[in-house]
Amino acid sequence: MINVHPGLPSFDYIQPGSLAEASSFLAEHQGEARPFMGGTDIFVRLRDGFGDYKYLVDVKKLDGMGTINFDPAEGLTLGAAVDMNRVIGSEIIQEHYPLLVEAAGRVASYQLRSRATIAGNICNASPAGDTIGACLLLDASLQVHGSRGFRTEPLNSFFLGPGQTKLEPGDILTAIKLPPPPEGLVSRYIKLGRNQASDLAIVGVTAAGYPDRGRPSGYRIRLALASVAPVPMVVEEVESFLSGEEVTEQRIAAAARIAQEACSPISDVRASARYREMMVRNLSQQALLSVWKSLKAA
Amino acid sequence: MANHTITLKINGELERLEVASNLTLLSMLRQKLTLTGTKNGCHAGECGACTVLMNGEPVNSCLVLAAECDGADIVTVEGLARDGRLNPVQEAVKDAGGVQCGFCTPGILISAHALLERSPNPSEDEIKDALVGNLCRCTGYVRIIDGIKQAASL
Amino acid sequence: MTDNTTVIPSPIGESVPRLEGREKVTGTALFADDIQFGAGLLHARIKRSPHPHARILSIKTERVWELPGVKAVVTGEEFPGYMGLYLQDRHIFCRDRVRYVGDPVAGVAAVDEETAQRALDLIDVEYEVLEAVTDPEIGAGPQAPLIHPDLGHYVVADFILPKPGSNISNHFKIRKGDAHSAWAGCAAMVERKYRIPHIQHVPIEPHAVTAQMDGEGKLTLWNSSQSPFAQRNLIAQGLGISQSDIRVIAPYVGGGFGSKAGVSMEALAVAIAMKTRGRPVKLLLTREEEFYTAFVRQALVAHFKMGCDKNGKLLVMENRFYWGGGAYTEYGVNVTRAAGYSSSGPYEVPNVRTDSYCVYTNHPVGGPMRGFGMPEMHAGLEQCIDELALEIGLDPVEFRRINCIKTGSILVTGSKMHPTGLPECIDKVARAINWGAPSAPEGPDKKRGKGISLMWKAPAMPPNAGSSAWVELTEDAKVVVGVGGQDIGQGTFTVAAQMAAAALGVPYDWVRVATPVDTLYSPYEWQTVASRLTWSMGNAIVNAAKDARRQILETVAQAWDEELEKLDIINGVVVSYLSEREIPLKNLVIYGLPKPDGQGWVGGPVIGRGSFMPTYVTGLDPETGQGERAVVHYTTGAQAVEVEVDLVTGRVKVIRGAAAFDVGRAINPELVQAQMEGGFVQGLSSALFEDLMLKDGIPQNPSFVDYRIATSSDIPEDIQAMIVEVPQDDGPWGARGIGEHAMVPTIPAIANAIYDAVGVRMDGPPFTSEKVYLAMLEARVVE
Repeated sequence: MINVHPGLPSFDYIQPGSLAEASSFLAEHQGEARPFMGGTDIFVRLRDGFGDYKYLVDVKKLDGMGTINFDPAEGLTLGAAVDMNRVIGSEIIQEHYPLLVEAAGRVASYQLRSRATIAGNICNASPAGDTIGACLLLDASLQVHGSRGFRTEPLNSFFLGPGQTKLEPGDILTAIKLPPPPEGLVSRYIKLGRNQASDLAIVGVTAAGYPDRGRPSGYRIRLALASVAPVPMVVEEVESFLSGEEVTEQRIAAAARIAQEACSPISDVRASARYREMMVRNLSQQALLSVWKSLKAA
Repeated sequence: MANHTITLKINGELERLEVASNLTLLSMLRQKLTLTGTKNGCHAGECGACTVLMNGEPVNSCLVLAAECDGADIVTVEGLARDGRLNPVQEAVKDAGGVQCGFCTPGILISAHALLERSPNPSEDEIKDALVGNLCRCTGYVRIIDGIKQAASL
Repeated sequence: MTDNTTVIPSPIGESVPRLEGREKVTGTALFADDIQFGAGLLHARIKRSPHPHARILSIKTERVWELPGVKAVVTGEEFPGYMGLYLQDRHIFCRDRVRYVGDPVAGVAAVDEETAQRALDLIDVEYEVLEAVTDPEIGAGPQAPLIHPDLGHYVVADFILPKPGSNISNHFKIRKGDAHSAWAGCAAMVERKYRIPHIQHVPIEPHAVTAQMDGEGKLTLWNSSQSPFAQRNLIAQGLGISQSDIRVIAPYVGGGFGSKAGVSMEALAVAIAMKTRGRPVKLLLTREEEFYTAFVRQALVAHFKMGCDKNGKLLVMENRFYWGGGAYTEYGVNVTRAAGYSSSGPYEVPNVRTDSYCVYTNHPVGGPMRGFGMPEMHAGLEQCIDELALEIGLDPVEFRRINCIKTGSILVTGSKMHPTGLPECIDKVARAINWGAPSAPEGPDKKRGKGISLMWKAPAMPPNAGSSAWVELTEDAKVVVGVGGQDIGQGTFTVAAQMAAAALGVPYDWVRVATPVDTLYSPYEWQTVASRLTWSMGNAIVNAAKDARRQILETVAQAWDEELEKLDIINGVVVSYLSEREIPLKNLVIYGLPKPDGQGWVGGPVIGRGSFMPTYVTGLDPETGQGERAVVHYTTGAQAVEVEVDLVTGRVKVIRGAAAFDVGRAINPELVQAQMEGGFVQGLSSALFEDLMLKDGIPQNPSFVDYRIATSSDIPEDIQAMIVEVPQDDGPWGARGIGEHAMVPTIPAIANAIYDAVGVRMDGPPFTSEKVYLAMLEARVVE
């Protein structure tokens, strides 16, 4: 932090003509080249002195990266380069995946949302990413183009550690795929920042639920947490706990305590681990209750 | 480090420039075009003093490469007035007393102008949300918001 | 000097539009980094200490010349001079020792910033790390390592009292009455300790300077500056040259709040420019550097003890202030003094014992920041007042009404209070916030509360800080006013024009102000600090305008063979009340008028000059802090707030704010209100978010990502800004300052409101969600 560059350090800006060209360039120059889209993360890190790249490869304008496609049977294909403001403004996404709109709307500022992408958040494996919890609970999978062409990676096994993903040299995330949302899905994203708005998440809680007759409780209710673990996490125990018996306010309070036990926040300049843990409990309580009340009312 | 030739529109005028890979849009505007209205407050996308319109949308120009802007349509604070006449947001924010030191003002005006283009009758919360990425230390935002409301009511 | 007649001439008291508003909304207003210098411009970067405290063993710079494009490298070796405003304790570049992380050790100029930055990595500095002092209370103790062993040899202003052989660079005392015995008469007592962290001014424009030395060794600076003349003076002193060989040109300032007063980084650019054979050198601070390498606000550890009698009358206060002055306290020593002579708060207290210590620490340099010690001190004091009120069973507003200073009160320094509207300010804010009536919170997990706080502040400056102004007219009778005061957003140039227009007798839109301020052509102004310009510079402008007026009227009197006393200037026209003759100002203000007999001329180019310097400030006894007139005047005021505390997160939301300040006379009411609003929000920001976190002297959060300030989403639903006017006897039309005061009471007002809402007391800002939540947890307000 102390030895920040006044501007951006030197690098070459590369604009490949196709995905194939991009992947092969990235693989050929592995360790020296990095793909980027909005740049809001990489430029800041380069200026801060983290990461040293000879080539920055602009992949925004490549095939399919900028499109939003919805098919009632297939679900959503969200091009990786679609910026957050476009996600928020998309009628398709508003109608079918309001959780994604809610989460994206809490990101940073309008200016940053003009450039930042959900895919970028995912590729950085940012533990504080506002939209990753939504993607996890919406069962996202990722379309990746690499040296050997396209493949699909499920999001729930994509993160390997802080800042580490399954992406290999040559890989470019080209689209986020969300299956058609379950019938009656209700969701809520609660973000705690230091300011009323504009901050990153000190604690981020995403809750989603839908009627599921196959479960004893009659509902499937899930919870994801941001900023309280090395990677964004889904608290599986909350889902199984709230599946097992009739959902009541006491069980929701207990589920919130399960979430508190499950997380492993750190203390840093933003917040202490102790406070984060308690906020996981309090905000999980709020989010789950809000989802539960909507489910009951429906 | 490679150079790039870009052709783009800035405040309605076509420009062709040769830019280094790591030159930001902000530096290009200020240094190569002497359009110094857009300011550098943090170079990290946090303060919004560098806000310009890129293809109609407000962006932090400190985090955009000039090289990315081939074919782009850029509007800066210098492009808001027409034939010497202030645009409604400029006039209203000035008249409301929303300008003190003036350093955040160019970025604020761009964000506000873009807001009114996409939402001509914004609520107070919408205005605040649109400005959350523009830090002001002098005014407390009060008269800036008043000015934007005034401009919206025209 | 004063014009306190009941007739207030236009445009005094009118909210005329800001003079430079159009320039600022079109982006044509030039700030320091906007000025074009051509292809010869060089860019500088500074090598800084990574250690909070260390001896410099060696500096090797030869390798920078390996990089193409490097043009100069400079270290402290060539600059032995000391610099400082009140205490000369710093060099331009460190010589034998570094005293804070960021302390400048070497500077490089190169053809671009990135090359200069890379050159820094080629400079090798060997350090011997020393033990660091990071707490002022510990730093004041006898065991603490000495940060300035040569303190006893430093040149120091006679009203600053350092303790050589210690880290105490100023010890200010108040011994009024008999504090020791007075406790016996107290029916209630409160004793508290508060810790106020370092914060930074966060001007949206970081520091920026370009320096150039010409072939004769004369220096020019283009600088974002609140203090062109003080910078000229201090840098000249530091270099051992004449002030006449330095010229400071000061374009628009993108926010100062005190950070751009005195000398912080400007001298670095000067030193480097002396080595570049005439090429100008630009030095910009990155935002990260802005957070900790220019000026910050002192930290404070404050001990308060206060007691009242059974009727709630304050009897005694005992205060100990340990100011975290940082590595150099050349400016900050006066904060210590100002807090000392204000240490009773705006209350009449017969017995006061205060010890205010400025302590060196190995932290960033504490300098002038809006309020100059008042926000830090009131933060704790006004909470104690609330606690004492509740202890004795009185409503906090009522307690303040009883004890606040009024006209004629005997102050903590033994001086008498001039006419003040503080009681009216209290009433106004209490009414505006609907004091006494609780309000319904937004939801089941929220609680609301209200809090009030008073404040006072005097301009903290040497007793003989002066202002000057000139007034000239063009052939077409437009008026140009020369000032040395800077517009840092508060509206200096606008009110300067208003005052000149009113004093001369011309329409407001005939008046221009000669900007940018340029020490070669502008008249002297001590500094744009201390909320002193409207009052001090205003008096100088009025004097200059009156001087011009006298010259004009004398010319016309002679030309018309009439009595001077029957002539006047109204709306740009000279009129005679006697003969009813009229003549417009144009032309006569340059060319004079023909003699009555037509044989010759009278008059000539009109140039009005005026100055103002207070002559009545007495010293204060170094042992007791008592004196007849310690300060020029006090501005007093009050703020009240309503907050909502979220029981789920601890988040504090300020719902409403009310502010009332006695400004004597609002020259431009909307500009005054704008200060109240902006100051309130900056105060709110410092109350809820701001903390320059230092661990072992190393800044942890020097960026906007983790140093949070108020955004548009954090402001209250409304802020009522109310003006009270009890005229100042020697202010222009009764005016006194407001700029800083607007930020002073906000921290304790919010703290008191938090207590009202959830019953927890905070021992220091920022009142972050976490701090409040954990306090509620400990108090069992939440589980």
